[in-house]
Amino acid sequence: MRVLSYGSVTAPARRYFDDIQVGEEYESPGRTVTEADIVIFAGLSGDYNVLHTDAEFMKQSIFGERIAHGLLGLAIQAGLFTRATQAYATLAFVGLRWKFKGPIKIGDTIRLRATVIGKKETSKPDRGLVTVQRSVLNQRGEIVQEGETDLMVERRPRP
Amino acid sequence: MTGSYFEDVPVDDVQETPGLTVTSAHVAIYLGLTRELDVDGATVPDLLPLCFTTGLGWRVPKPPLVVLAFMGLDWQVLRSVRVGDTVMSRSRIVTKRPMRDAGVVVEERELVDQRGEVVQRGRFTYLVAKRTKETTA
Repeated sequence: MRVLSYGSVTAPARRYFDDIQVGEEYESPGRTVTEADIVIFAGLSGDYNVLHTDAEFMKQSIFGERIAHGLLGLAIQAGLFTRATQAYATLAFVGLRWKFKGPIKIGDTIRLRATVIGKKETSKPDRGLVTVQRSVLNQRGEIVQEGETDLMVERRPRP
Repeated sequence: MTGSYFEDVPVDDVQETPGLTVTSAHVAIYLGLTRELDVDGATVPDLLPLCFTTGLGWRVPKPPLVVLAFMGLDWQVLRSVRVGDTVMSRSRIVTKRPMRDAGVVVEERELVDQRGEVVQRGRFTYLVAKRTKETTA
């Protein structure tokens, strides 16, 4: 069998706990949230709440139209994070504290602004906890979601 | 609209959903949708099981909460979920606080795997509609 190799596909080195500095800031590209995204997420999650699926009902609501699932926005920002900066040597996603501040509507373009706000050593010498503050902004610069995420990140292996 | 309004919300009742087996198809669709980078083919991205909890709740045959808005979420990932694991959601309303036109409801949720181990858990905060003259009639 012929094996093809593409140099450009090689992933850049992942950044260890030691490499990440408090105060680092990242900004992702934008991503337009489409009706298709919402339909796929409803199918994947099984959440067919009228907020996301009934255009006629939502005309009468405070939003005036269907809105994206809050968790879809959360999932999309996780993807945007991987496009905003070089990958961390993440061992585990530990948790998050999150606020949904405003709706994401069909056609809105969202982007992520993230800042490293904390680093903490743990009882295990091979890893540390990194806390990232994240804001999801729409095309008008309004914050639609924001919060903090905790990631367990590998330390640089000692020789 | 039929549903469970703020006045109807029972505090402390435990609700358990049916299970869902997490497949590589779920993971593929999730990664296509979010473009979160896949690290290892058998590990399920940590936010995906969280995304299942609300839909699992809809499979319990009872009137759903009339949610006006999803306000906040505190969530912890305790252990990783693998393709082939079956998860179910267990939830309980812990507090409800009335406001003028609606009410704030805080729900605790746990995701439990086929071994009975809690894999993820946290709190969801919702704004829930109050009954109006129209909905009471």
